[in-house]
Amino acid sequence: MNHWMFNCRKVTRMVSDSLDHKLPLYQRFGIRIHLMMCKFCSRYRDQLLLMRKIIGPKMDKKETNLSIKLSSKARERIKRLMQNNRNEVS
Amino acid sequence: MNNIRSISEKSPVNPDKWVGRYGDYLYRYTLVRVRDVAAAEDIVQETFLAALNSYKNYQGRSSEKTWLTGILKHKIVDYFRNKTKEALYHDTNTLSFAPEDFFNRKGQWKIRPVKWNADPQKLIEQQEFMKVLHDCLSQLSQRHANAFILREIIGEKVKEICKTLDITPTNCWVILYRARMYLRRCLEKSWFTDETYEETS
Repeated sequence: MNHWMFNCRKVTRMVSDSLDHKLPLYQRFGIRIHLMMCKFCSRYRDQLLLMRKIIGPKMDKKETNLSIKLSSKARERIKRLMQNNRNEVS
Repeated sequence: MNNIRSISEKSPVNPDKWVGRYGDYLYRYTLVRVRDVAAAEDIVQETFLAALNSYKNYQGRSSEKTWLTGILKHKIVDYFRNKTKEALYHDTNTLSFAPEDFFNRKGQWKIRPVKWNADPQKLIEQQEFMKVLHDCLSQLSQRHANAFILREIIGEKVKEICKTLDITPTNCWVILYRARMYLRRCLEKSWFTDETYEETS
């Protein structure tokens, strides 16, 4: 299992890095070649991407998002607590 | 006109107006990350109360919204960290932590990734999945968990995380690599697969 120049351990590190910053060309190229031949590293990459997709902030369409509002009950409670808090301080 | 607006945005307004002005924004920001209505409301509440206490230290260097969002982010990390502490006592299978343990001396996979069968859209909606995620996060060290939460849940840039955790970018990448390697294995074990399907080398 000698996939070109990078071994699986190195590839997993680089795939992780690629989620945080742009990799140099030779690394991107090396990863691509390696992934074509290694199903385990391909799985690993798919898993990291899936994790990002499901764990990351769940953004729906903008309109749906804007319809998310603090309930009036929570709003009143927070206002009241803040008022109490300020009265205590002053 | 623009000038006047930016000045008024930067100078602190009456805290009485905070909830009306920023309540929905902060709540939305929290809910898409925490995915629990009651928890999100609590976090927003704590944020406003904390802001009230540190109000005097607010210099108006950033806009009020940015300042409040900064406090909110800390509260969200705290929330995940507290969840983590709650989950600590759960009976969990010990998992190997160092990425090196996943590979043999030649750098080939020793504990191979298993195929995940999952519909991402469904996962997002499942509360049980969030629980498994909390459990898995709980097994990371504080440093690894904080970095991962800031990066993947809050969506912070690595540059910002370095500043918050006071580490170099390289250090940060290593930490994130370890956290991801561990979490993917933990999720794999506790959620995605039946161990019997696993191929061992």
